[in-house]
Amino acid sequence: MIPTFLGSTILVFTILQLAPGGPLEQTIMQLQMGGMSGGAEGGSAATDMMGGSVLPESAMKELKRFYGFDKPIYQRYLIWLGIWPREIKHRDFTIPSNKNQVEKRVGKRDGQIWRVDVSMNDKGQLSVFEKDGTASPVWHASIDETTENGTHEAVIFQQEYSGILTGNLGKSYTYAKPVTEVMRPRFKVSLFFGLIGYFLSYLVCIPLGIKKALKHGSSFDFLSSVVIFVAYSIPGWALGGVLLVLFGGGSFWNIFPLGGFHAPMEVWETMSLLEKIINQAHHAILPVIAWSITSFATLTVLMKNSLLENLSQDYIRTAFAKGLSEKRVVWVHAMRNSIIPIASGIGYIIAVVISGSYFIERVFNIDGFGRMAYQAILDRDYPITLGFLVIVVLIRLAANILSDLALATTDPRIRFK
Amino acid sequence: MMEKNQNNDYVSVSINRRRWLKFKGLKRGYYSFIALIILYGLSFLLPVLINSKALIVRYEGSYYFPAFLELIPGVASYYPGEKFGQDIPGEANYRRLKQKWEDGSDNWLIMPVYPYNPYEDITTEGNKMYEAPSRKHWLGTDNTGRDVFARLFYAFNISISFALILTLINYLLGITIGGAMGYFGGKVDLFAQRVIEIWSSLPMLFVIIIMSSIIRPSFFLLILIYTMVNWIFLTYYMRAEFYREKAKDYVSAAISMGQRNRTIIFKHILPNSLVPVITYFPFSVVGGISMLVGLDYLGFGLPPPTPSWGQMLDVGLQNVSKWWMVFSPVTAQFLTLLAIVFIGEGVREAFDPKVYSRLR
Repeated sequence: MIPTFLGSTILVFTILQLAPGGPLEQTIMQLQMGGMSGGAEGGSAATDMMGGSVLPESAMKELKRFYGFDKPIYQRYLIWLGIWPREIKHRDFTIPSNKNQVEKRVGKRDGQIWRVDVSMNDKGQLSVFEKDGTASPVWHASIDETTENGTHEAVIFQQEYSGILTGNLGKSYTYAKPVTEVMRPRFKVSLFFGLIGYFLSYLVCIPLGIKKALKHGSSFDFLSSVVIFVAYSIPGWALGGVLLVLFGGGSFWNIFPLGGFHAPMEVWETMSLLEKIINQAHHAILPVIAWSITSFATLTVLMKNSLLENLSQDYIRTAFAKGLSEKRVVWVHAMRNSIIPIASGIGYIIAVVISGSYFIERVFNIDGFGRMAYQAILDRDYPITLGFLVIVVLIRLAANILSDLALATTDPRIRFK
Repeated sequence: MMEKNQNNDYVSVSINRRRWLKFKGLKRGYYSFIALIILYGLSFLLPVLINSKALIVRYEGSYYFPAFLELIPGVASYYPGEKFGQDIPGEANYRRLKQKWEDGSDNWLIMPVYPYNPYEDITTEGNKMYEAPSRKHWLGTDNTGRDVFARLFYAFNISISFALILTLINYLLGITIGGAMGYFGGKVDLFAQRVIEIWSSLPMLFVIIIMSSIIRPSFFLLILIYTMVNWIFLTYYMRAEFYREKAKDYVSAAISMGQRNRTIIFKHILPNSLVPVITYFPFSVVGGISMLVGLDYLGFGLPPPTPSWGQMLDVGLQNVSKWWMVFSPVTAQFLTLLAIVFIGEGVREAFDPKVYSRLR
């Protein structure tokens, strides 16, 4: 499990960090475009020609440091994990060529200006001392580069261990907020749809599958099969699009809102609880249908086939032969075995459902978890992209465990050792 | 099962023939199969069916075949307007030529059945963007004034080709790797399984989107990206099949006869372990098409202006009052997938017949 987690995060981390057009390039381009009047026209051509030389070097350094690109990639990964110190509160300063000790103001402490002494030994290593002469517990310093005339460009910074292992997913570039804070409300939205869609499809599929199996070959079976074929052949989000066109007030009926999770915030705040519930349901009906349509088809078929297969087994014949009623044979004998594949699928479906759907959320303009990730990829917002990956992989791993548990509960042949 | 041959003798029917007969007997799947094959075959002739270029032009005594030339790859089908006495820059506009020559000229031309092509912006001819379906434009026009009907059909060809090539490559990879894992077992299997475990824990769609956002994919690049994440599924089947088959006596016999690994794998085991992968084939194609439509919808699919259902849906869903931009691609996709699902159902039934006995 842990190697899997590390492997997959390393993979995505590497792809993202090595990719061209990352946040660094994007910011540089934005800055350059902003710097040139009327930059929209031929802006990209201009950047190509100048190749980043427009920005002063200090600004480049600042940017690189902000995005963490001043470190080699393995260090970036370890920092992100939280087992390599992250450098924060950078302050640049210069050590003149004739000195090897400088005083540096680093901020305030207890309402007083906080100064430290930075001294350099002959190997070019820096150490930081507090005013009372002890080594500073929080501040560290290092030399960035030495210029031709012997001065040293140095930087003083604090270190902290903070990464996903400490629960810190970093700070989003685009929202300028911690990733967890960006994720939380969106995750709730996806969870809402996911869980409702999930329970709904189980609620419909299991009885439907059973009925289809018991009436195998009847006209009910045939008709419901048609519905299932249709459901299987149309992706949920495309069906959602069709429903939106039909009922969203474009050219046909105006029954449901065009999208969104609920009414706009200004309106939403003024509503009473009952109104809120109604409004929420009103907004949720179409997305939920789209959400559950795919699992509906597969689950029903799974249930039906599983029950049919068990009904043709010898032990069912035996049960009938000893004179049990059909009800008892089906519900007690056959069902117990037929529910096993459904139960073991629980984890998988939960994982799929909760990680949100880029498609449905985009169609219905819902600000959910999947859409956040999609937007983050577009914006090259790596902390969010990676945070999403972490959450999804974790959910998957948890879902696998849940599947195993469900399997063990329903299938007495399987025991955890 | 027995069958009569030419000499009226009864001979037993080979298993593959039996499967084919069974498949043929399942009307829904069989007719879908025939229909899809014909449509897909026809879709390669689209340049002469749906195109803005004329099939035949007769101009001042000589004949030209611009639309037919487009069928042959690598041959230029471009004729400048001046060539036919048309005073416009760029390529000849055959629809206008036709109007011009209609009143008693020696020159004439024949247009394809549906005289619009999927790339041309026809707003220059008095049409609007987002024109509703009419007799002239059967499914209306899109956001840049292109004909939706023409684009729909070209996209059909591209979608199916994409899914077929994709599935074939996936199969090649999946069968080879899965087969090797099952056949050699031991360390090969252990190592490959770890790799697959990591690979499969990734949310695949997410990875595809990341990759496509980094490199603007072309048709084959997209197939490559998608293959990279999709071959895994098949290895599960193949690995299990090879493990099972390898334990059987005929493989032991082959090994003790000193046959090479390659012969055993391809000649002996492979034909016996193909049933699950063949039955899965149509559903894999369904997956491929859905994926392409989805990626195109998100804007990470084939580069514009490639005709694509997903791109149409994107345009349509941004403005739901343009219902034809949503209904056309969804219907096209739905019918195509439905046909393939029917085929898949038939294939499954033919290869893996299940007879459910019921007591009551």
